[in-house]
Amino acid sequence: MADEKIKIVKDESTSIYKEWETWARKGNFRVEGYQFIKGPCGPGKIEDAKMGEFMLVNRPHGALYTHSYGLVSKFFKGLIEKTLYGTRCPVCGTTYCPPRMHCWNPTCKVAETEWVELPLKGEVHTFSVMLFSADAFLEMLPFVLAYVQIEGSDTTVPMQVITAPTEVFVGQKVEIKFRDKRMGELMDMYAVPIKGQKVPEDSCLNNPEYLKDMERDLQGTYAYLEKRFGMKKEDIEKRWKR
Amino acid sequence: MSKVAVVGGGIFRGDRFRYENAEEGVAIAFRDLLDDTPELDPQDIDFVMMSYFSDHLNQQLCMGWIIQDYIGLHRKPGYRVESGGSTPLDAIINAYYLIKSGYYDLILVPGWEWMSEVDTATTNEFIASASDTDWDFTVGGYYNGYYACLETRHMQLYGETIEDLGRIAVKNHNNATHNPYSQWRSEHGTGYVTLEDYYNDRIVAWPYRRMNCALISEGACCLLLASEKVAKKYSDTPMWFEGVGLGTDSMRPGDRLADWAYYGMYPEDEKIYPSTVKKPKTPYPDMANFGSLREGAVTAYKEANIQNPAKEIDLAEIFAPYDGVELTLYEDLKFCKRGEGKTMIREGIVERTGELPCQVSGGLTSFAHPVGATSLMQSLFLYWQLAGKIPEKFGDSTLQISDAEKALTTGHGGTGCQGGVIVYSR
Ligand SMILES: [Zn+2]
Repeated sequence: MADEKIKIVKDESTSIYKEWETWARKGNFRVEGYQFIKGPCGPGKIEDAKMGEFMLVNRPHGALYTHSYGLVSKFFKGLIEKTLYGTRCPVCGTTYCPPRMHCWNPTCKVAETEWVELPLKGEVHTFSVMLFSADAFLEMLPFVLAYVQIEGSDTTVPMQVITAPTEVFVGQKVEIKFRDKRMGELMDMYAVPIKGQKVPEDSCLNNPEYLKDMERDLQGTYAYLEKRFGMKKEDIEKRWKR
Repeated sequence: MSKVAVVGGGIFRGDRFRYENAEEGVAIAFRDLLDDTPELDPQDIDFVMMSYFSDHLNQQLCMGWIIQDYIGLHRKPGYRVESGGSTPLDAIINAYYLIKSGYYDLILVPGWEWMSEVDTATTNEFIASASDTDWDFTVGGYYNGYYACLETRHMQLYGETIEDLGRIAVKNHNNATHNPYSQWRSEHGTGYVTLEDYYNDRIVAWPYRRMNCALISEGACCLLLASEKVAKKYSDTPMWFEGVGLGTDSMRPGDRLADWAYYGMYPEDEKIYPSTVKKPKTPYPDMANFGSLREGAVTAYKEANIQNPAKEIDLAEIFAPYDGVELTLYEDLKFCKRGEGKTMIREGIVERTGELPCQVSGGLTSFAHPVGATSLMQSLFLYWQLAGKIPEKFGDSTLQISDAEKALTTGHGGTGCQGGVIVYSR
């Protein structure tokens, strides 16, 4: 017989199911529209193409996934509570952030790890300046995507660094902050550079030509954001001009 | 154990939009193979090894069943292989294993991908769901971002420049203008591009500009693999497998700083690390190099008995979704030492006129990148190369590498989570 106390206990903190129902119905598999199109087709090389007539149909697809964070749920709950956790292997001592509940060092034979609280400090291990992104993230543009090594951790966590895109560098010391609205996902936290650091001479982005091109294409991104979302350059720059 | 060869192939060229659907595209590629291989009776085929990456892109599970049925091979044994960008290479290697082990003599490998049924942003999002959706996708990255981060790290460690990445882009795009099956030529014609054009191209995720990134394509390709026993029946110019190798690495690139599976495996590479940068616990691969491809290369070279790949390999078709991957793989494939990838492009070694031409077809940024077909297209290109058939196939001899005997191709999934290498010979 199973222990009476070992059973499912759900909290009812979200109303997303009700809200989602209308979306889900809209996202059901069915034909919503059609078009006729003429275009190149057929076998062979580019110059062998002939014109063909085709019919296209539009079919939506929507779904709500209810996904468990599993044994590392504590990490995401920690984000909501503005606390940063990692895990440490009691055998080899590796500290993981992102946490893993089992050590992946082959010599540790999948040892269970232990939770440790980590300081809200880290260092940029590597970065990219994103001037374009997937649809879900367009309004965040432009942003610095970085893999940050949290102090005391041996691995890196991806996050956005809120800084002028031309001022990020490998080795930059950052502070970890939490957003006001938190959903228990990595976006709940971000990094800001600790004040008073200079971009090193040998930073791979520290080249006048590179920075000039970056500046040019930043203007392109601003223009796109203004056209598409009515966003203003001055407001966007306020994100890092504090 | 039997030797194994590629004995034919057919292509339905990749482009941004193809309005024939996937089964028709594969059928057209299969017909192209049959036209080119008069001795092939479809009834001779023992097994169908199908290659496609995404179920999301077409709202269709088990598309392999549709394909096998459509081309009339639905009585035969067959299954689908899937491993992200490594899918088509792994399908070829799966077929190779089955023939090599003696189970079958003749295997058809059809590959395809139809990537434009959803808009570009959604395509990017679906592809990004091959990254860790709890830990990598949520922060606004997607593959352009992840790969840009990896390239930045390599740049900081080993000092390649934007100009180096530009030279690779210019090389590949200009090669593709001579390839009448290339998407770049379909979209932009046969004019050459210059470094100036590259600098004027828009940055999408620094250090990458648009021209550094793989295309989104729809297309198909079929490859025919045979045992030594039957190979000569189908082809006068079989392309033999000399060696294959597979490798894997961490799911999340951010974990490659304490990448214990690799620790101490490549001590020479661990040592080549600048003193100016803080050394992680596992300096190779770090977030700079691709361990999975190193593993694949070491295994493939051992089987092919290759001691000095830079000297012994005559041309390479690398699965490089970004130009920094090509540069980094010069190192992981041991064409040069770690950190010297930049000299391969600076000295022109990888140009089509150089000692080790890479991406003569144009590669993923210019030939086309319908994921499940990509390595099949690259292998078919090598089959034509080693047989000296480029002038006949392309109506232009510019891309023919004369007297090529050994060729290499690679597969590459995720952020290098999965990789593979094949060495072919004529
Ligand atoms: Zn351990």
